[in-house]
Amino acid sequence: MTLTSKPLAGIILVVLFGGILFSSAMGWWQTKSSKEAAAFTEGEFAGQPDPADIRGSYTFGDVERNFGVPASTLAQAFGVTSEENPAAFQLKNLESIYADQEFEIGTASVRLFVALYTGLPYDLVEDVYLPKRAIEMLKSQATLTDEQIAYLDSHAIAIGSPASNSNADQATPESVSSPEGIPDTQTEEHSEGDSTERVIKGKTTFKDLLDWGVSQETIESIIGGPMPNLLTNVKTHCDANGLYFGDIKVTIQAEIDKVAP
Amino acid sequence: MKIFGKRLFQPRSIWIRRMVQIFFFALIALIAVNHNLEESGRGIPLLSNASLHALCPFGGVVTFYQYATVGTFVQKIHESAFVLMIISFVLAILFGPVFCGWVCPLGTVQEWVAMWGRKLFKRRYNHFVPPRIDNVLRYARYIVLAWVLYVTAVSGKLIFATYDPYFALFNFWSGEVAWQALAILGLTLGLSLFVERPWCKYACPYGAVLGVSNLLRVFQIRRAESTCKADGACSILCPMNIPVDSVKTVRDHQCISCLECTSEAVCPVAKTIVFSAGGAK
Repeated sequence: MTLTSKPLAGIILVVLFGGILFSSAMGWWQTKSSKEAAAFTEGEFAGQPDPADIRGSYTFGDVERNFGVPASTLAQAFGVTSEENPAAFQLKNLESIYADQEFEIGTASVRLFVALYTGLPYDLVEDVYLPKRAIEMLKSQATLTDEQIAYLDSHAIAIGSPASNSNADQATPESVSSPEGIPDTQTEEHSEGDSTERVIKGKTTFKDLLDWGVSQETIESIIGGPMPNLLTNVKTHCDANGLYFGDIKVTIQAEIDKVAP
Repeated sequence: MKIFGKRLFQPRSIWIRRMVQIFFFALIALIAVNHNLEESGRGIPLLSNASLHALCPFGGVVTFYQYATVGTFVQKIHESAFVLMIISFVLAILFGPVFCGWVCPLGTVQEWVAMWGRKLFKRRYNHFVPPRIDNVLRYARYIVLAWVLYVTAVSGKLIFATYDPYFALFNFWSGEVAWQALAILGLTLGLSLFVERPWCKYACPYGAVLGVSNLLRVFQIRRAESTCKADGACSILCPMNIPVDSVKTVRDHQCISCLECTSEAVCPVAKTIVFSAGGAK
């Protein structure tokens, strides 16, 4: 039996696309991850999702679905608060946002954060770094051992922290991820210590509020308790204490506007 | 075939193969663009937005060990790569590595660059590498294959993506491509001006896998000695430098089943070099 080029071309196309159609019909044709993290198969955590299986293609929403860590908490921890929909933010984009950092902040950082946040085991095979704000959140919301705290403190990267003088402050993730060329005052971040734009945002700290002239008593009456460390973000404090940042923000903004020069 | 009065393909070339190659190149390019557009929320409707890793049958090969031992895929690899691997194996068992000769867009691009090489060097093109060295280098792709399988099995990661010129070809603008992959792509295209399909001949790990099918495929390229004029045209124009005129049946592990050596293309004598199965002469 002899075959020429035209029938061969037809056979190649039919076998290739026919095979794809058949596999689709059988449910075998999957071009994307199911975004279901693999579970521990043994030990006291058997059946629970393994943070080590978190992948760069996961979004914060996928992490929330698998591990129960709110996407808003992850966004806050990793400084991507300018995203309109933090649940849709893909972890692999962290690396490009933090490309200028001396140490990598990426998917491994999220794995570590999730593991410590949820108390699930995670074996570190390399040094993993976290933003300072993520570490602050872990310290306030998770149960950490002294050894874990020491590790985190030695692997903290100051990003967007008002007290930091590191290069990281020169390109905060918020400024990098904001759409270029689109003037949008709602997403525009104020620079640290900038007194001309007094708008409370996700990264506004208690120190900013004091600098803008809002008294400690007023702030404490709004948040219903004593102020934490001045460098803590107001939103982080709200998330950690079950306060709804949206309401608190409106009330504090009114106070800011009252004392504005 | 003529377009606007100009001949699109060389005389006596397998023009339909060129058409199939263009089709797959365009399809993969569009899907790669769509994948990037989709990530920014602007995908092209009705077109797949799969990642290139999901559409590369070699992904099925590299993840095979992990799937067999752990039951999971290597990161970035999905079921579709497994399906494509099986389909290309079926095609290879029947017709040899037609995936390489007819479908693979990286092979296609190398052939396009080869057109310039042929114009520059005429008959010297694709005959620069001394046969002694060339014969040894042809086995380098099996070393690459062994290395890729080893590092993937040990790490559970798609290490080869850092060096993959195919991934670089369709993602060079995306910022996801390592400089090593870009360098290898550049080297491959540069060498294609002197050697036809240098990546396929010397380094492609998937070509190494599919090349084995040449030893047992159903349809083979056969030469009828009784009518052969022994003019050597088939050997000279074979993109993979296989000495077709010295064998009755081509079983060379580098054959890509392009059919360019057959009587349908460069062989001037009808029914002398044919693509056949069973007892056909």
